[in-house]
Amino acid sequence: MKVAYFSPVPPEASGIADYSALLLPALREHVDVEVVKRGAKRPPRGVDLAVYHIGNNPEAHGWILDALRRTPGLVVLHDFVLHHLVAGVTIGRRDGHGYLDAMEREHGVVGRLLAHGVLDKRLPPLWEARPEDFPLTGEVLSLANGLIVHSHFVEERARGAGFEGPLARVPHPAWPVPDLPSADIAGGPLFGAFGNVNQSKRVPQLLEAFARVRDDHPDARLLLVGATSPGFDLDRRLQRLGLGGDGIVREGFVDERRLWALMAACDVHVSLRSPTMGETSGTAIRALSLGKPLVVSDVGWFAELPEGVALRVAVGAQEIDDLTAALRLLAERPDARAAMGVAARHLATTEHDLSRVAAGQAAAFERVAGGPAVADAVLREVSEAAGAVGIGAGSAEASEIARRLSEVDLGD
Amino acid sequence: MRIAVLRPQVPFARGGAEIFTDELVDELRARGHEADLVSVPFKWYPGTRVLTQAFLWRMLDLEEADGGRIDIVIGTKFPSYVVRHPEKRVWLVHQFRQAYELDGTDLGQFGSSPEDRALRRQVQDLDRIALGEATRLFATSANVAGRLERSIGLHAEVLPHPPQALPYRTAPSQGFVLSASRLDRAKRIDLLLEAAATQPGFDVVVASDGPDRERLEAVARDRGLDGRVRFEGRVSAERLAELYATCSSVFYAPVDEDFGMGPYEAFLSGKPVITTTDAGGPLDVVHDRRTGLVVAPEAAAIGKAAAWLREHDDEAAALGTAGKALADEVTWDRAIARLLS
Repeated sequence: MKVAYFSPVPPEASGIADYSALLLPALREHVDVEVVKRGAKRPPRGVDLAVYHIGNNPEAHGWILDALRRTPGLVVLHDFVLHHLVAGVTIGRRDGHGYLDAMEREHGVVGRLLAHGVLDKRLPPLWEARPEDFPLTGEVLSLANGLIVHSHFVEERARGAGFEGPLARVPHPAWPVPDLPSADIAGGPLFGAFGNVNQSKRVPQLLEAFARVRDDHPDARLLLVGATSPGFDLDRRLQRLGLGGDGIVREGFVDERRLWALMAACDVHVSLRSPTMGETSGTAIRALSLGKPLVVSDVGWFAELPEGVALRVAVGAQEIDDLTAALRLLAERPDARAAMGVAARHLATTEHDLSRVAAGQAAAFERVAGGPAVADAVLREVSEAAGAVGIGAGSAEASEIARRLSEVDLGD
Repeated sequence: MRIAVLRPQVPFARGGAEIFTDELVDELRARGHEADLVSVPFKWYPGTRVLTQAFLWRMLDLEEADGGRIDIVIGTKFPSYVVRHPEKRVWLVHQFRQAYELDGTDLGQFGSSPEDRALRRQVQDLDRIALGEATRLFATSANVAGRLERSIGLHAEVLPHPPQALPYRTAPSQGFVLSASRLDRAKRIDLLLEAAATQPGFDVVVASDGPDRERLEAVARDRGLDGRVRFEGRVSAERLAELYATCSSVFYAPVDEDFGMGPYEAFLSGKPVITTTDAGGPLDVVHDRRTGLVVAPEAAAIGKAAAWLREHDDEAAALGTAGKALADEVTWDRAIARLLS
């Protein structure tokens, strides 16, 4: 079976490009995959299935959405919230009407009015202010003839949004740990947070909690790795919390080798998020591979990490208190860190095992590519047999046959 | 209790699963249950026939029969367990192996077209649903349970069943190697014939029949084994017991077998078993140099093992005796008590 694969790939800098670079060799052990060149409008001739990797970043995925609009296919949905993507391919292309239509299609007249407010700059951009309330996933779901998601969170929302086609939940694959030395950064313990430094990564809450922990654990350090988002005044916050000096170790955007070295140096990984777009965190997956204990926000995919692997912190009024308690616990209990690390590694090598993930994806490809023909053939034979003994459409007997077929997933 | 034992039937074919289900019904009746066999013909080709024939089971109403409630149904092999019943237990003999580990091999059924690939997945999905409905799920061997867990993530308790009732006895070896497996390619009788061709030290008796018989007889002729290999066809229970009793060893080396009654039958006759490292289910009970010899799936290794057992009567008898101790533990009393618990 041959598959056309629409995805960002390296050297493009995106988490999904990294994901595809990891997955493709394993996937090719199961199916013939042709990676489609960026910008292509249609799948190449002769393929049995087109697979579209859709995420929320319009730079990385706008062209893929364009191709999906021309040729429906299987969608690997990396984020449930696609508002930023839709805004990018409408407003970002000077197509304000497209944005109005998209908002109206999914959120009615109120949606259209809100979109007007955004276009007129009377409202802040919804993709920044309230993306989770206006996910704008409907068009992609309507074009998908099959779906692969990474989490129950996205699965439930896709079904809730009315997607009725075949859906497979296939976890994000785990990277093998590269043979690299750890960065030489000490801490007692060393907490690490990776990714953009901003509000949605809960950095203000993390800094507050860490400052409290440091009051009674003066050797604790916090490694912050990633670019600071525009408008986020990290230095002022550090100063206000008295976190100058050696309590904070700061690195900006780093390459993959440095990322692994820094992650390996940490005793605990903190991966917070709110709001969530339904994404899976690539750095959290790397932490699992490294066998590191995690502290995560109790939202989306993060909330699905087993308790033995991650301490979950609810977003809200008690967040800083709970986060402080979680960090303290892990600072004071090396035995707990070790046990969680073992559990993390186990999770990486089982549920997130690369070959298992590739097999799961290939199975989903096969179901979507040939499934309709199989369903048609089964229904044809069963209905012919029923008709031959006088069971007519709409009869009670026909209803029972339909119900039995549906029970075993052989028809609707 | 009223118990229905479910068995798909391939017309004109009879093998281990048929013997097992017949005996299960007899043994249930012997323990005071009202038991009966429910059988539906099964044909798995061409195309989607594998699904539509399986679906026949779904349309059966086995909640009651003749005005009386059926308390338990016991599914055995694909697709009998597709039936619906509030107390569906499954004693899994095997899944539809062409959709699993045999896919992509000479013994597979599904090609590389999208339709065939999806059909295979649909069989797996059907298994996941139908087996997932079972109130208790047993497998006849660790191999069957392992495949189930690996393929669709369902856990089954391992519950071996006794072999067919034969007048088992032990007698001095007459020096031949016995094969009583059905004659089809998966049983690899040709490995034994090739082994005989490499080792002059033993004769072979093949006491079974099947679609591969003609080819195997040709292999024997081509290898110059006339006079050393005897094809007896399907034999009576008495004759089979006699062959078991008087052989020097029993050859049983199918590819990744589900369970296989062969080793138990050999053991109850006090005989060691020659099997191979890739045989699957038999390895649950054939342990190298404890109850038999486990060798590489190569003619030379099998020939050497057969010759050694023929030349070492005492050691062969000791292995057979150890096997008998294992086989004696597998009784219908124990199996049925667990099955109905």
